[in-house]
Order: sequence, then C-alpha cells, then structure tokens
Amino acid sequence: MLLSLSWLKEFTPYKGSVQELAHRLTMVGLEVEEIKRPFAHLSSIVVGHVLESKAHPDADKLSLCRVDIGSGEALPIICGAPNVAAGQKVAVAQVGTELPGGLIIKEARIRGQASQGMICSETELELGTDSSGIMVLNQDFAIGASLTQALELEEYVLDIGVTPNRPDCLSVAGLARETAALFDLPLAMPSLKLEEDQSVSCPEQVKIVIDDPAGCPLYQARLISGCKVAPSPANIRYRLMAVGIRPINNIVDITNYILMELGQPLHSFDRDLLKGSMIRVARARNGMTFKTLDDQTRNLDENDLLIWDELNPVALAGVMGGADTEIHQQSRNVLLECAVFDPLTIRKTARRLGLNSESSFRFERGVDQAGSRFALDRAAELMGSFSGGRVAAGLSLAEPRPYRTRILNFRPQKANALLALNVDEEYCRKNLTLLGCRVKKAEHGFEVEPPSYRPDLEREVDLFEEIGRIYGLDRIPEHLPRVKKALGQKPLDNRFAFTSKIKQWAAGLGLNEVINYSFVGMADLDLLEIDRENRVKVFNPLSEEQDVLRTDLLPGMLQTLRHNLGHGNTRLRVFEVANSFFSDSTSETGVKETDRLAIMLYGLRHREQWPLLDQELDFSDIKGLVENLVTIYAGNRARFKDLGKHAYLSPAVLCVYDNLNIGILGRVRPEMSRAYKARKEVWFADINLDRLETIHDSRQISFEPLPRFPVVKRDMTVTAPLNLKYDQLVDVVYESGLSILEDMTLVDVYFPQEGQEKKMTVRLTFRHPEKTLKDKEVDKVHQNLADSILKKLPVKFS
Amino acid sequence: MALAAEISKNLKSLIQEFEKALDQASSLQEAEEARVDFLGRKGRLAVIMSQLPLLSPEDKPLIGRLANEVKDSLNQILNDKIRNIQHKAQEERLAVFDPSMPGRTPDTGTVHPVTRVINDICAIFVRLGFDIVTGPEVETDFYNFEALNLPPGHPARDMQDTLYISESIVLRTHTSPLQVRTMLKRQPPVAAIAPGKVYRRDSDLTHTPMFHQIEGFLVDTQVSMADLRGTLTAFAHEIFDPGVKVRFRPSFFPFTEPSAEVDISCVMCKGGGVSSDGGPCRVCKETGWVEILGCGMIDPAVFQKVGYDPEKYTGFAFGLGVERVSMLKYGIGDLRMFFENDLRFLSQFV
Repeated sequence: MLLSLSWLKEFTPYKGSVQELAHRLTMVGLEVEEIKRPFAHLSSIVVGHVLESKAHPDADKLSLCRVDIGSGEALPIICGAPNVAAGQKVAVAQVGTELPGGLIIKEARIRGQASQGMICSETELELGTDSSGIMVLNQDFAIGASLTQALELEEYVLDIGVTPNRPDCLSVAGLARETAALFDLPLAMPSLKLEEDQSVSCPEQVKIVIDDPAGCPLYQARLISGCKVAPSPANIRYRLMAVGIRPINNIVDITNYILMELGQPLHSFDRDLLKGSMIRVARARNGMTFKTLDDQTRNLDENDLLIWDELNPVALAGVMGGADTEIHQQSRNVLLECAVFDPLTIRKTARRLGLNSESSFRFERGVDQAGSRFALDRAAELMGSFSGGRVAAGLSLAEPRPYRTRILNFRPQKANALLALNVDEEYCRKNLTLLGCRVKKAEHGFEVEPPSYRPDLEREVDLFEEIGRIYGLDRIPEHLPRVKKALGQKPLDNRFAFTSKIKQWAAGLGLNEVINYSFVGMADLDLLEIDRENRVKVFNPLSEEQDVLRTDLLPGMLQTLRHNLGHGNTRLRVFEVANSFFSDSTSETGVKETDRLAIMLYGLRHREQWPLLDQELDFSDIKGLVENLVTIYAGNRARFKDLGKHAYLSPAVLCVYDNLNIGILGRVRPEMSRAYKARKEVWFADINLDRLETIHDSRQISFEPLPRFPVVKRDMTVTAPLNLKYDQLVDVVYESGLSILEDMTLVDVYFPQEGQEKKMTVRLTFRHPEKTLKDKEVDKVHQNLADSILKKLPVKFS
Repeated sequence: MALAAEISKNLKSLIQEFEKALDQASSLQEAEEARVDFLGRKGRLAVIMSQLPLLSPEDKPLIGRLANEVKDSLNQILNDKIRNIQHKAQEERLAVFDPSMPGRTPDTGTVHPVTRVINDICAIFVRLGFDIVTGPEVETDFYNFEALNLPPGHPARDMQDTLYISESIVLRTHTSPLQVRTMLKRQPPVAAIAPGKVYRRDSDLTHTPMFHQIEGFLVDTQVSMADLRGTLTAFAHEIFDPGVKVRFRPSFFPFTEPSAEVDISCVMCKGGGVSSDGGPCRVCKETGWVEILGCGMIDPAVFQKVGYDPEKYTGFAFGLGVERVSMLKYGIGDLRMFFENDLRFLSQFV
C-alpha cells in the first residue's frame, strides 16, 4: 500500500516528521518498507519565464526563445513546440539535467543557433500524456522556483506492507484512523456535498437483481448523466501518479481515487452501452467466454461471478470490467457500481485467470460493507463535479445480506495474563474505543462491538492483540520461562541427534558438507538412467530443472561437481545428508522420505603437498570410508557384494550388514559423469541412514576379556588368477573352522608385469585361549590350511 | 721392585694417553678404534695386565687394584666421550631440523554453514530443555495450513507461494507443521524445536525455492508474551552478541495471536545505518534494524485442532530462517552461495 503523506493530512492533522510517522506505524504492525519521493527525479526542473520567442531563421518549426530562470542572464533555448509564446511560464530543464527518460540536456547548436536548455512538455517530464506542446504553467509561479515546489509535488509516499488481516489499512482513510489513534489526533472524513438531480431517478432507470446472495451481499449503483470525459484535474492526476496509478480520465480516475482513499473498489459502466434497465449478479455458465477491458477473451466456469445487463455479461465481478461497456472518450452517462463480493469467489477467479488487480486484492481481504455507501456517494459527487455530470436522484440497491455487527466478550485480566501487562479497565476501554470499537461494561469486563471495517476482530484474543499492539509489544516485560520436564520422558525424536553424529563423522574424516536442492529435473534422473517408477513430481514447478523430487542424491552431487570444476576446484571430497523421495500409497502424504548419506570423491587422493603422495583415487578410497562408517555406527564389519549391472555405477557394489542392504558404492559410469564435465573418475556412495540408525539403536556393546596368551603370526602368499576375488580366499580360510585362527589381514598385493596372475600376501594371526602355542603346532595348522586352499581354489603358493 | 713401579707408571699414563686419543676422535667409529686400542682384548691395558703374573705376591694385589681403578677410569672416560659424541650428533641434527615443513595432515572437513547455525541454535534451546523434533518435508494440507488456522482460500496463504505435489499435498512451506504434529503426540507441558528444509515457489536474488527454518514452541499453563520476549532476547544475545538490541514489531501470522516480527540492531552497521565505508548500509537498508524471525502467542484455534484446552493453556511459537541468521552471523552477502556448494565457500566454515 502506497500512502501519500499529503493525502493522509487531509484526514488527520499530523504535524510530525515522515520518519516518526513511519517508525510509529511500523511499531504497530504497519511496516513501512520504504519512504519514497515520487517526484524527486524532477527536482532540478525550474520555472522559467519566456521573455521572447521568434522563429528560427533556418528552420520552419523551431522557435528561438530567451528564457529567464531567475539566474541573471536569460538563457537562449530553441524550442520545437507549436504553443511556445513570449510571456508564458514554462518548465525548464537546464544544461546537465537528466530527464525521466534518461536524456541528459546538453548545450547545443541547432542550425547555427545556440540552445542552453530545454522547455519541457508533460510527456517529457512524465507528468502526463500531452505531447502536443510544452507544459504551460500558472502565471503565479515564481521565476526560478523548483517545479516540484510550484506544483506541490514535494511529496512523501510511504510504502507500507499491510498484512492480510488488515484490509482497512489498504486505504488512506484506514491509515489515517490508525495515525489519529496513535498520535491522539482528530480524524475528519471528507464532507459530502452531493447534489442530486431530482428530475432523474436512478432506481427507476436501473434495477438490481442478485441471483447469488452469498457471492454478492450488497450491490448498489448511481447514475451520473451528461458527463464530459476529459483528463482529471492536475492535483488528482499527480496524486494518483504519486501512488503508482496511471491517470486515464475524469471518470476512471475517480474510481481509482476512491479505491485508494476509502478502500472501496468501484466500477463505472457506460450506461448507454448497457442493454435494458436491469443489472443482475449471477454466476457464469461453464464454457462461457467473456472479453475483459484489456481486450483478452477469458474462459469462464460456473464458479466465476458475473455482472450482467439484461442480455449480456458486462463485468467479471470484483476483478475486471468488460470491454464492451467500458467508459470511452464519448461516454456521456455513467453507471457507477459499488458492491461487496464474497472474498473466496473473487480470489478463485483472480487466481485462475491470473488477474490480480487493486480491486480483487481488496475484495479478497474484505471490504467495509457498512462504509460502502459513503464511498459511492463521494465518488458520485467528485465524478459529477469533475465531468460536469449530474448525479441522478437516489440509488439502485439490493442488499440481500446486510452487514451484521459482532459482540465480543473482553476480559481485561485475561488480556493482562497473556500479554504480561498490568493495564486497567479504563486503559482497555479507551484504546478499544480509539480503534473504533463500541465498548460496554459487562459482568466480566466488556462487551465489545468492533467497527465494520475491522473484519479481523472476530474473537476475544483478537482484541488482546489490539491492546498489545497499541501498548507496544516492545514495552512488554521480559521473563525467562522454565521448561517443566520429567527425566522419565523419552525424547520425541532421535533423528536429529543421529544425523548430527553422521555429519560430524564425515567432517572429521575430511569431507565437506554440501546442500543441494531437493528437486531436480526429470532429465537429470533420466540421464543417470534412474528408475522412472515412483518418482514424485512437483505439480507447479518453478522450472523443468526442478520438476521432480530427487529419488537419489547423485544428480545434486554431480551439479556440485560441475559447479566446482567450473570454478577451478579440481579435488572434491564432499558429503550430503538429505531425504530421498518415493511415491508410496501407504504413507500419509503419499510419499516415502528416507534419510540418506551421499559421499562423492573426485580428483587426487591427497592434496598436492609434500610429504603426501600424488595418487589417483580408486575403489579402496570410497570403500574405506563406508567400512569405517559401518564399523563405527553398526559395530561390526559390513560385507560388500558386486552388484553387476546398475543404472549409473560401474562397478557397483552393495554394502550389506546382517542381510540388510545399507547402501551402494562404486564409480559413476564415465559417459554419465562426463556430461557434468568430469574428466576423472567419480567415486560415489549412497547410504540408507534410516537402516543404519535402526542397526545403531539396537546395538549393544559387550566387553570381551583380554587374551592372556601371546599370538603367533604367519604370512602366506598365494598366486591367483586375476579374476579370483579376495573374498573367495577369505571364505575358504574361515570355512576351514580353525579355532585358533584369530584374524586374517591382507598385507600385500602384487601384480607381476604382463602376468595373468596376482600375488596376495595375507597375515594369519593364531592364538590359543588357554596356552602358548608352539611353533610346531602352528606349522601343522598352517600347512593344513594351505592344503585346503589349494584344493578349493585355483591358486598356487610361490 | 722396579717392575712394579714401571707397571704402575704405565698404568697411570694410560689415562692421559687415552684422553688424548679420544680427543682426536670425532665419531663413534673413531671412539671405538680408541677403545679397541686401549681396552680391547689385545689393547694396551691388556698388554700391561699380562705382566701382572710377574709381580711379587706383595705387589700383586696393590697393582691389581690400581689396574682395576685405571680400567674403570678408562671406561668412564670412554662413556663420557660416547655420550658427548651422541649429544653433538643430536645437536647437529636439531640444527637442521625444520619444524615448518608441512605435516602429514588429513583433509580438513567442514559442515555446511546452515548445519553450523542449526547446531548452534539447537544447542541453546536444548540447554533450556527443548526437545529437537523432525518431520516430513512433503506435508498434507492439513498440517501445513489447515491445522495452523489457514483454511483453504485464506488470503494469508498468499504470504507463502506454495509448491504442490497434488491438490492436498504440498512441500512444506514452513516448519510450523511440527507444532501440530508434536502437540498431537504429547500433552502440555511441551517444548520443542524443529529444524528442517522448507520450500517456497520463489526464486530471485533474495529467495531460493528451498531454504531452512527452525520452529520453536512452548506450551504450558501461564505462558505469556513476557516469556516469549525473554526467551528470544536471550537467544539473540547468545547467537549474535550480548550487545545486540532486539525489538518486537506487531505483525500477522494466522497461527499466532498476537503476532510479532523480531528485529535486531544491524550487525553490520551496529544500528547506525551507515556502513564502514561511509555509504548507506546495504544489510539493513539504512534502517539500523534487520528482521530475524517471526513469532507470537499460539492462536487458540491451533490448540482446538490438537485438542488442547485454550482456556487452560497458552504458549508461544517462533520460526526463523537459518540462511538469514547465517548471513548475518558470518557476513555472507549472497543467498545463492548456500546452494552452489563452492568449496572456496564451504571450506571457510571450519
């Protein structure tokens, strides 16, 4: 809401500074977002006096003028306007001035004659649309005065963020009421001097029929005849411009003027274009079309409310008028509509058609039904006086649902308890009265009747808010509450604590946390050949790149990779903890959300810095992190299974713990990662944190006594074909069921050059729980183990 | 007699000669050579000792004792020398030791600044006795709007441009549904804080379609606006700076009544409206204040939805934007940086 300070002052004699007003309004909930000077860009334009104007010797249409701007010598100015003449007071832009359109005035020579400035037209100053000639000013204006001062344009405009509960403050009058209450000033509504032409009766000319009382509780109209459509007086136009409304003519401008001043939307029809003598309010029919005054044809349905004449729809109620009955240059007789419409109906139509106007905005929030008659009368008065029209006697009216007042109980001690105040009854009474309420003493406090323009005052607690607002929330004392809790009470939720641990773990291992958007594009998932089943689409996405919730964290990770590679960060070790989303009809929301941990590694294994080694990453890096995670949070080692084919990983490896799939890891298929500018291998792991947390929660640590006897260690080197998996060796060794074998660790792998074989050295740890092993015993066991390996696997010992 | 005297003299001179020999030695190797020469099996001491059997029975014990003393002395001198050499070698190593060479440092990991701020804020409220709760990011219209006193068609729904999954399922526009979910699970007194991702259909310089909020609320008998003010003021002092000024401005949220927005004095210009370079402060747009959160006393309509008696219980609730707090706390100027995940950005939050 843009509030003009001078307009406000017509309602209440505020004398303080604009900053003080802005501060006080802000502190009662009317946040002033900006203080504007709408005409500040004209501040260097001055009033000049044309001393002389004669034809340019070498150009037909130009005049050579000498203009006195009060700065000593008169300026030579060449002017192309046909209406320039000696003796005029004009608006002069001097050399160096920048005009609203961006033009900077320079000293010039036109066909041999000097020109030091410019005499401006309305259009050039953006003060109007008349470009036929220069702007001729009032003779009373002082030479050399600034134009904004002379035209009384030194205006302040407050840009106020009005919350949706306060439709009353979407008007100068409403904001004046607040101002008057805040500063204890009188409030004066404009006085009505409406003169009716008794020879014409409006209700006889036009009858109102409301088919849909729920959609339209009140419809009233006045007839103004014999109007002459012309530009509005300058002060009306400038005032509308100051609050961001483009002046059109003396009929339309008045509807806008009253909308801004009193918050009541109005609409004017050309009476002579309305068929018959009846206005009807009724819903549209499905499949109808209607041409609005912006010349767009709108498709309507049965939820849209229309205003009809006897034959046709003539306006989309509360949203926009129709093209066929709008006011035009030759209109003579105006039917002025002032109605109240159902907020929800207006809101639905405005949303569906994307037609949000100042009118629909106010109707959606609720207009003051009881105050609407005054708005209609004032508009009719102004319209008549500015257009030379006569206001017909009486008004056409239908009010199937009259405004009903509400009575609220108000208990001061309850207000004090909630607000932690100690104000007395008199304080409450006085302030509620100042806000327009009628207050009557009742058994436990007051009976309060809120004013018709405050639809937000519906319950007692709404009145408490008013007391707090006027007292000043900022003056309420401060107190620190105690939270009552019992030790026996289990926490409501452990998820945050668990994900926090995971994040600390990852950061501790040198990974950087990233946060990507939860939505990606269908194309991102498709590129990675991720399953199309069970994706959750966003119904109204901002863009195609964000039209589906991610079922997988990899797309976001790859976007992170691409961004970093593009900015010269060539080594990434990052992680993200976030939800994946799958549709699931058994869930309350139709969506199953699973917490996941994603890890991505790219670039060299170590930073390029002595004494660290320059090595490329391989599978062992990503696997090592996952092994560490599972060991810490599940308590034991996970198993890893080659998955074979996978949508986007190759190799793809499943991480299994207690027969539960905990996650997947591997290398992103290079043809896919290349699409994200990756030139090296991208290693990725995706862990299901829901499952890991379940395992973590059920985990019990039980102590095992320390062994009392020493170990014997033996190394064994096997030569195996390249395709033999280490796990095969592990399985054979453990399957042999040796009770004294405590541990087996791979200590070296060697690939002889050009060989089809690899050599793996394992270190076996033997220990007997009750005695010290002798070399001979170990030798024997070791030999048996070797024999059984040879029997079961295609290996040899070298 | 002469033999005893001669042996005695030779023995005594061994000490000086050994010292002299060791003086020449500068390494353990040379010291070893001197040891072999004097103390070895065929060394000079052994040679002299081999003469002992020739001595008279009276002289034998005397010279024998002297020989042992000399042997001890030689060993002592040798040990001193070895220690000396070792010490010197260590000194020499230390002289070239360079502690400024890089260590074998693991990579420095970081959590995201959003996580940092969430952790900081949750820690404060956990200390006050609040539970941390989480909930779904895809929500039903009921939890996201209706139970929060935002019926269908309410103009306040415009305050939040919503991303829909279907007509009745939304991406939550705020963390406030956690108020409802938590209150349905537990009777008062209840105090909880709910951090998480939220979504709005909005994307420009100062809005991202996903961001993070923290919701906090407390319900009990006799909770008042003073409790809200005390809690949030203490919070602002702790998360920013004890000198920061806090102001409560009336505002409107359908699920609180009264409602307020909380501003703090601008952390950049200290409330003066003028930036350090003398120009207008960009952070507070010269107002001296920056908004950090919305709050209020929980609306009785919300209590009715969860079955709390509004005549018996009152409570406060607040919701704050994590990125906003993070920007103010760390002086980050551009919101979009939070989701670009540039390492040069992330690695600053160590």
